[in-house]
Amino acid sequence: MEGHGPKEPFATVFGIDIPNFVITMWAIMFILVFVSWLGTRKMKKVPSGVQNVVEFAVEGIYNFLTGMMGESRARAYLPLLGSFFFFILLSNYSGLIPGMGMIPGMKVPTSDLSITAALGITTFFVTHISGIQRKGIKYFAHFLTPVAWMLPINIIDELVRPVSLSFRLYGNIFGEETVINKIAEMAPLIAPLPMMALALLTGAIQAFVFTLLSTVYITGATEDHH
Amino acid sequence: MEAIAEALGFDVNKFIWALINFLILVFLLKKFAYKPVLNMLDERKRSIEESLTRAEKARDEAERMQKEYEAQLAQAREEAQRIIEQATKLGEQMKEEILANAQAEASKAIQRAQEEIAREREKAVVALREEVANLAVLAAGKVLGRAISVEDHEKMIKEFIAEVGDLQ
Repeated sequence: MEGHGPKEPFATVFGIDIPNFVITMWAIMFILVFVSWLGTRKMKKVPSGVQNVVEFAVEGIYNFLTGMMGESRARAYLPLLGSFFFFILLSNYSGLIPGMGMIPGMKVPTSDLSITAALGITTFFVTHISGIQRKGIKYFAHFLTPVAWMLPINIIDELVRPVSLSFRLYGNIFGEETVINKIAEMAPLIAPLPMMALALLTGAIQAFVFTLLSTVYITGATEDHH
Repeated sequence: MEAIAEALGFDVNKFIWALINFLILVFLLKKFAYKPVLNMLDERKRSIEESLTRAEKARDEAERMQKEYEAQLAQAREEAQRIIEQATKLGEQMKEEILANAQAEASKAIQRAQEEIAREREKAVVALREEVANLAVLAAGKVLGRAISVEDHEKMIKEFIAEVGDLQ
């Protein structure tokens, strides 16, 4: 890892290190929140302009979630799962900006395991807290299915989920970033383009996969019938 | 474990930054994107439902009114038919009456005319008879070569009329 990317940390304020990716993440957050604010500050029944874009994006995710987990849970988990998708998507696509990963303050958040781990852990806790909230102590019964001695395997299964979520996302994006940067170092003009086109595809797929798996985990934990 | 994590670039500071930032993002997007859009969806759904109900009501109303009008139309048609029938009957009746009147009038007129004719004929016959008698006396006078006196004349006429009357 040494010798790659901008110097860490980006800055230190009151003894707290601010890593480079935080600046990029703030930029992404600003874009998402600003566009949302633009699109929803004066909502009309017949949408136009930015409102159309925001409605299209939110409704798309919402309809997808409704199909997976039903309307009431889709409403409850839309903020978390929708934010997963939009943040990961923009984060992945931020890698297409020239100079990403070279200029201070510009680092693709999802190409860092620490960040993807934070997202994976969020899914892990939300999954199990939701399960306990919905079913109480009976929630733990599903660790004993289909037979009681499956308990250790079930526990490992649950623990592996956030790890696999984090590593899948991190691995894909980090790998892609590295390849694009390496190619750009050797031939910065046309050569990275095919790889960047591929990144457009995998960026969306990885954002979708992370959201889809998180939805599946949460749906499974809060399902009424087994 | 720690060594592996470090080798992969895992950093607790970054992890905490990411977690906090992401939770803030969730909160902000909920406020500025998800809530307003879902509210708008609900509102739109409600207004569509309302419109549909209203449309259905209007359709029912229209159907009801159409039925009413149809019933009224049928009633009016029946009424018209009845009136026409009545008028026809009345007309027929009047025709008969007028015809009967006319016939009666005509036969009366004919009768009157016939009576008149008979009377005239009677008168004519009487006049003719007198004339013939006079002529006859005149002729007789000529034959006798002298005038006949008024008394003779009268007597002869009476005799003659009696004779002619017998002839009749």
